[in-house]
Amino acid sequence: MNGPSRRETFLLGAAALIPASAVAQEAPRRGGVLTVHFSTEQRILNPSLQASTGVYIVGGKIQEALVDLDAEGRPAPALAESWESAPDGKTHVFRLRRGVTWHDGKPFTSADVQFTAMEMWKKILNYGTTMQHFLTEVQTPDPHTAIFKYERPMPQGLLLRGLPDLGYVSPKHIFETGDIRQNPANTAPIGTGPFKFVEYERGQHIIAERNPNYWRNGMPYLDRVVWRVVTDRAAAAAQMEAGQLLFSPYSALSIADMQRLGRDPRFESTTRGNEGNVRNNTLEFNFRNPVLADIRVRKAIAHAINVPFFIENFLGPFAKPGTGPIPSVSTDYYPGANMPQYGYDLALANRLLDEAGHRRGAGGVRFNLRLNPAPWGEDIQLWSTFIQQSLGQAGIRVEIVRLDAAGFLRSVYNDWNFDLATGWHQYRSDPAVSTTVWYRSGSPRGAPWTNQWGWQDERIDGIIDNAATEVDPVKRKALYADFVRAVQTELPLWMPIEQIFVSVFNRRIRNAGNNPRWASSTWHDTWLAS
Amino acid sequence: MRALKAYFRSPAALVGSAILLAVVIMGVGASWFYPGDPLGLAGRPLQWPGANPRFPLGTDSSGRDIAAQLFHGARISLLIGFVATSISVVIGIAIGAVAGFYGGVTDTVLMRVTEAFQTLPNFLLLLVLVAVFGSTIETVTVAIGLVSWPPVARLTRAEFLSLRTREFVQACRVQGLGDVHLILREVLPNALPPVIVYASVVMAVAILLESALAFLQLSDPNVPSWGNLIGLGRNVLRTEWYVSAIPGVAILLTILGVSLVGQGLNDALNPRIASGR
Amino acid sequence: MRVLRLALWRLAASLPTLLLILVGMFLLLQLAPGDTVDALMAQMGGGDARMAEEMRRFYGLDLGIAARLGQYLMRLVTLDLGFSAIYGKPVATVILERLPPTLLLMAASLSFAFFFGLLFGVVAARRVNKWPDTLISMLGLVFYATPSFWFGLMAIVLFSVYLQWLPAGGFGDITQNYTGFAAMLDIARHLVLPTLTLGLIFLAIYLRIMRASMLEVLSLDFVRTARAKGLSETRVVAKHVLRNAMLPMVTLIGLQAGTMLGGSVVVESVFALPGLGRLAYESVVQRDLNTLLGIVFVSALLVIAINFVVDILYARLDPRISAES
Repeated sequence: MNGPSRRETFLLGAAALIPASAVAQEAPRRGGVLTVHFSTEQRILNPSLQASTGVYIVGGKIQEALVDLDAEGRPAPALAESWESAPDGKTHVFRLRRGVTWHDGKPFTSADVQFTAMEMWKKILNYGTTMQHFLTEVQTPDPHTAIFKYERPMPQGLLLRGLPDLGYVSPKHIFETGDIRQNPANTAPIGTGPFKFVEYERGQHIIAERNPNYWRNGMPYLDRVVWRVVTDRAAAAAQMEAGQLLFSPYSALSIADMQRLGRDPRFESTTRGNEGNVRNNTLEFNFRNPVLADIRVRKAIAHAINVPFFIENFLGPFAKPGTGPIPSVSTDYYPGANMPQYGYDLALANRLLDEAGHRRGAGGVRFNLRLNPAPWGEDIQLWSTFIQQSLGQAGIRVEIVRLDAAGFLRSVYNDWNFDLATGWHQYRSDPAVSTTVWYRSGSPRGAPWTNQWGWQDERIDGIIDNAATEVDPVKRKALYADFVRAVQTELPLWMPIEQIFVSVFNRRIRNAGNNPRWASSTWHDTWLAS
Repeated sequence: MRALKAYFRSPAALVGSAILLAVVIMGVGASWFYPGDPLGLAGRPLQWPGANPRFPLGTDSSGRDIAAQLFHGARISLLIGFVATSISVVIGIAIGAVAGFYGGVTDTVLMRVTEAFQTLPNFLLLLVLVAVFGSTIETVTVAIGLVSWPPVARLTRAEFLSLRTREFVQACRVQGLGDVHLILREVLPNALPPVIVYASVVMAVAILLESALAFLQLSDPNVPSWGNLIGLGRNVLRTEWYVSAIPGVAILLTILGVSLVGQGLNDALNPRIASGR
Repeated sequence: MRVLRLALWRLAASLPTLLLILVGMFLLLQLAPGDTVDALMAQMGGGDARMAEEMRRFYGLDLGIAARLGQYLMRLVTLDLGFSAIYGKPVATVILERLPPTLLLMAASLSFAFFFGLLFGVVAARRVNKWPDTLISMLGLVFYATPSFWFGLMAIVLFSVYLQWLPAGGFGDITQNYTGFAAMLDIARHLVLPTLTLGLIFLAIYLRIMRASMLEVLSLDFVRTARAKGLSETRVVAKHVLRNAMLPMVTLIGLQAGTMLGGSVVVESVFALPGLGRLAYESVVQRDLNTLLGIVFVSALLVIAINFVVDILYARLDPRISAES
């Protein structure tokens, strides 16, 4: 055990990011209200039931997960102090923290973990239902031990990387009676976290206050956290400038404002602290359209779009070209950029389209396609317009079909009524959580963000299935490299842009962004400079 | 003829006609002034007006020429205004004429329907129609027509109610002329002038409704509409406010033109209320 | 008491209209692509098909259209507006929370438009065809032609971004725990720009109507008589003309109540106000049928109520009507 410990490396790493003078002299100051931009109203605030950033940003301060991530993105103890796994990957033991109490004073025990895992993660939680599909039982030999039993091997890496998002624990004594979905604690959450829920005024604000009995002694430093509901981007930027908001998470401001505030010395616009929340801009093809079932046409479309130009002129410094479905921030599974890529080459695109038999007709048009863009995100709107403009150059006339969220999901993933679609693929720590479902065949009709393209490849299905249950991390990484190479060759869909979400901080916030899912994390060590 | 003369004596009418003419020329000549796709990528996004001589009005956040969109947008706004107005006037006249001419139960039922449409905020109904039937330029236009007819119907009905008891109508009845003939040939021509004047209001509202829809990003993104441009400019409002400002002025002037023409028509057709009496 | 009976009667008379609207809306929304579970899925960021199916069952979306419509109307009889899938609480609660900003905004805009419409209309009519009249009429035309959302955006650029006099949006500053008078002042500051934005077009309409009807009334016999009696012009206008000239304006308020509510959708969206208009827009997008129908119901009631008040006002103002009844 020579050399710097993990904790020391973390401190060194964090110090490198903050001006040394700021760190050296300042001791954490207690008190203050952190005001946070809350851009999407949520139906529930319970992260054991709903896995989405809109829930974590609030519920993640009130409830805690079994496992958290440290500064380098490695699994770190939270409600679980330690863990070990059987070699066959079918048994995972979690030793739970002692002396932790719920906000209502009841003790936190393994019964809570068992209840949440079996009744919430396995049955209700989105993505949790997939991850815990083969969970058979959770044994509780004593109040501080929870043993997870799986029917098929569960890679430890997958479980530990999944749990920070999909492992929030809810109190059994609150939820065990009545319908879990209807429980009032879903909108007035009770947890073990550093902040206690106070109130949620729809359309206005959510307030949480310091939990004096928090298990990390002396923490948290903040008195209160107030989330202000501001749905309008421009209004939110104005409130940041006026100091009414101190933090705007998850790229909720307009691209122009994020860049503008980034140049203002009072603020910091950064991807730091969001490394765990990566998204790709997609281009999805409907294979039921015979034109698109031809791989030459799909490749031509990819070659016709100048991705670096788009990124430079429209998205700015927060995006970079994507190299495949596993993003470069995934340290464990990123296979490198050395995979089939489709650079901008209009001449090649034209040649491929000619070869495929689509000659230019009247007005230089080869054929028409409909493009359904997802209605969220300014970048999706810009991207869909850019696709329209670019494909026009190659003789493909694109008509943008504007739909709201419900209409978009229904038309693309249920009715299959589209030619091209574009939205976000969100990478959630491990390819098996929400990435391979975009490619695996056999997804039931209507499941959003899954393979609904009318495309199937048995070899790729096989790789996906093997990787999901492969216990050896090295073999698992090799399988995912095979996977990326195969799907970049076949191109059933294209993920040409990689974006990390952007946080805009007021510089008064200290310890901001000190872990890869900071906006979702507990904020126990966050404090405000005066 | 007398009405036409009266129309062109009114300064309001002259100014209005001039503005409208300019907008029409912009719309009709758009492909000549700006050949090529107005939605195509023209250059770097968000160049200020005058910064680049190629783009006198600058570029929007998608790198499209604002001037080109302004010219092509004139066509869209006029088209939507004209078609939606025609739809709502036809529906309004049909319902108002039947209700006013027949009276009784027919009148009651039709007026209940009209009342229902008026009680429901028309923009809300428009939102629902667009959410249900999609955001293409055709559906948006028809939807605007569908939500703007009730005032026309009420106006027509009132005219019919007062006209149907007049002597010349009674005389035609005695001659045994059919209802259709009576409505279309005898009563309608006399009921039309106030409806025509009101059509200018409907047209102004139609253009405003489309731009409001576009502002909420619910209109057709495949056409260069002024409202789309305003909505797009909202994201960069704090720094590049010209993206929203320029098309807004275009809408303002167009509606001003339509209203002035309407006022001129009113003065010409309804000398009763001619101003300054 | 008589007023109450009249009100009840009017409400009863509006019931067929109300029913027509609700059933029409219900059926219309059935045609929309996607349902509230799709919208929820989008909000959650995904989930599997089994879960979606279970949620559809939970919200009763697996039943037939007729059955659901029947259920809805049966509940409505007991004044139960149902449960909102998106907001996770009773629709009545959701609407009640969102009603105050909209009511305040509408009342403020209406007062603003009415007061200045009246003022400008009178001034223009008294200086007819002179420069104040020309100026006011011009302004009226320009206001009428200004798209409200655009005016709102430009007002934000000018007053909030450059001058920094007024807040750019929201309904109150909750970082400051204002109470009492300070809280009222805070809300008032937030409502200045929305009020101007929503009221502008109505101001334009009212001043035009007011001017025209002033001119009409000024030419009537009784005004000539009053003048002949040697009353000063100001007295003539204040005592005799105004009351009569206001009648068309009052009528218009009733007719345009629905339009104003529709306009608040856009204005609330520009200024990020948590009101009924925004809620309506959101519930359309979220396919939250119960909430949308609830809003339609409430806004229809609102329009009916405003019209009722307008009628009473009208009767008070118009000597002929009050003499008859």
